[in-house]
Amino acid sequence: MDIAKEFTKGLWAEIPPFRFVLGLCPTLAVTKTVETGIGMGLMLTFVLVFSNILVSSLRKVIPPRVRIACFIVVIATFVVIVELVSQAYTYGLYQKLGIFIPLIVVNCIVLGRAEAFASKNGVVASIADGLGMGIGFTISLTVLAAIREVFGAGTFYGINVMGPSFEPFTFMVSAPGAFVCLGIILCIMNMFGKAKDM
Amino acid sequence: MRDIIKMIVVLGLIAGVAGALLAGVRMGTMEKIEYQELKYVKGPVIMKILKGCTNNPIKDRFKLKYGEEEINFFPAVFDGKLDVVAFETTGGGFGGDIGIVMAVNLEKDTLTGIGITTHKETPGVGTLVKDSESFKNSVKGLSVNQPIKVKNDGGKVDAVTGATVTSRGVCEGATRGSEIYRKLKNDILAKAKDIK
Amino acid sequence: MSDYLLMAVGAILVNNILLAQYLGCCPFVGVSKQMDTAVGMTGGVVFVLTMAGLITWTIDAYLLRYFDLVYLRTIVFILVIASLVQFVETFLRKMIPPLYKGLGIFLPLITTNCAIFGVCIINVRKDFNFMETLVFSITSALGFGLALILMAGLRERMATARIPKILEGTAITMITAGFIALAFFGFVGMA
Repeated sequence: MDIAKEFTKGLWAEIPPFRFVLGLCPTLAVTKTVETGIGMGLMLTFVLVFSNILVSSLRKVIPPRVRIACFIVVIATFVVIVELVSQAYTYGLYQKLGIFIPLIVVNCIVLGRAEAFASKNGVVASIADGLGMGIGFTISLTVLAAIREVFGAGTFYGINVMGPSFEPFTFMVSAPGAFVCLGIILCIMNMFGKAKDM
Repeated sequence: MRDIIKMIVVLGLIAGVAGALLAGVRMGTMEKIEYQELKYVKGPVIMKILKGCTNNPIKDRFKLKYGEEEINFFPAVFDGKLDVVAFETTGGGFGGDIGIVMAVNLEKDTLTGIGITTHKETPGVGTLVKDSESFKNSVKGLSVNQPIKVKNDGGKVDAVTGATVTSRGVCEGATRGSEIYRKLKNDILAKAKDIK
Repeated sequence: MSDYLLMAVGAILVNNILLAQYLGCCPFVGVSKQMDTAVGMTGGVVFVLTMAGLITWTIDAYLLRYFDLVYLRTIVFILVIASLVQFVETFLRKMIPPLYKGLGIFLPLITTNCAIFGVCIINVRKDFNFMETLVFSITSALGFGLALILMAGLRERMATARIPKILEGTAITMITAGFIALAFFGFVGMA
C-alpha cells in the first residue's frame, strides 16, 4: 500500500528531526518539559496536515512563480488559527510556548513538505504524509523532552519520578544541554544508518 | 499578461479566503481569549484584592461604557451579599501607563484594596510598589469622594521610599478610578443586583 | 545610552539569539561548514534583520495596533519578510552587483530563518520603542553572526580531524554547539 508507506516513512525512515534534520529551533526550545514538547508536536501536526491538504488540492491552480508566496499564506493562516485556539482553550500552554507558536510559520518542515510533497501528490497521499511527519515529529519531541525532563528536573509530565533524594541534573534543561542531548540522539540514530543531511 | 492576471487572482483569492477564515475564528474565540487573559494575567491580582469572596468575580464580570472606553467590572459577593466591586483603571507612571485594579465597597464608598497588573517602570522600582504591602494597606479605607494623594502632596497614602513617582502614578490612577466609580455607581448597582 | 549598551551586551553575549534562545538553528547547521559562507550569511542576516525589524515594528505600531488586528501579526510579518527579501535581492542584483555576488545566494535562505521572524516578534511582544527595536535587531543579528562564525572556525578544523564515524555530520555539530553555548553561559550575570 502506497498510502501506508507515505504515512510510516515519517515514523522511522525519515522521522523529523532525527533523520530528516529540519525544524531544529522548536526541537531544542520547547523540549524542556514533556508537556510543551507534546503540545508543540500536536500543533505542528495540525498545521502540517491542513496545509498539505490545501496545497495539494490547489496544486493545479497555483501558478509556479508565486507558489512559495501561496504556501506561506496557507501555512500562516493555519498557524494563526492554532494561535487563537490555543489562546482560547489552553492558555497555560500558550504562555509556555510563547513565540514558538508563531514560529511554526518558518518551521522548515512545514514549508518543506508543502514544496517537496504536497505540491506534487494527491490529497490522500498528502494527508498521510503530513500525518506521518507530524506524528513522527511529536514522537521525537516527546522522547527528547522525556530525557531532558527526567534527568533535568526529575519529573515526567510534571509528576515526580526520581524520588525525593534525586539531585536534578540541571545541565539538561539549560541551552547547552539541549544541543548536546540532541547531538547524542543523532549519534544513536546514525548507528541505524546515515541521517539525511541538510 | 494572462499569466500575471492569473497570478494576482489566485494570490488574491487565497489571501481573501484566509482573511475571512481568520476573521471567523477570531470572532469565535474572542470572548474565550478575553476570559483566559483575565484569568491568567490579571486574575491573580484581582483575586488577591477580592480575597474571601464566594462567587467567581471573573466569570460574573460585566462591562460599562465610560466615555469612549469600555471598562470591566468584577463584582464580589461576601457573606451572601454583593459588597465590593473591582475594576481596572490606569495611572501615569515614570515609564508609561500603570495598569491598576481597585476594589471599592459599594455601601461605604471606600477603597478596600488596590493591585498593580502591568507597569513599565524601571525594573526594581515598579516592583517595589507592586509588592509593598504597607503602601497597599495605607490605601485601604480611603473614601472615593476625595482625591487620593501621597503624603507629600497633602494626602494620606505612604509613598514607597525610592519610588515616589510610581506611587504618585498609582494614586493618580486611583483618583481617576474613583471618578469612574462615582459616575457609574448607579449603573453598577443596576447591573450587579442579580449577582449572588 | 547605558540602557542600549546593556541591551547590546545582553543580545550578543548573555541571551545570544542562537545559543540561548535557539532561534536560527537550521541555517546555523546548514551554512557553518566554511568560513566565507558563514561571513556571507552573517552579512545577509544583519542587513535583512535590521530592515525587517524596523519595518515590521512600524507596521505593527501604526497599522495592526491602530486597527486592532494584532491577531494577524504572524501572517503579516511573514509576508513582509518574504517580500522584503525578494525586494532586497532584486535591488542588489540590479544596483550593487558586487554585494549581490557576496550575499545573493543567502537571501532566499533568510526568508525561513527563524532568527529574523523571531526577533521581529520579540520586538513587538516586548513593547520596544523604535530605538530599542533598532538596537535589539542589529545586536541580535550580530550575536547570530558571532555564533555562526565561531562555529564555522571550529568546523573547518573538524573537517581535517578524525571524528568517530557515528558522530559525523549533524551529531558532532550539535555537540560542539552545546559546548560553545556552555562557554557563553559564563556571560550570565553581565546583564
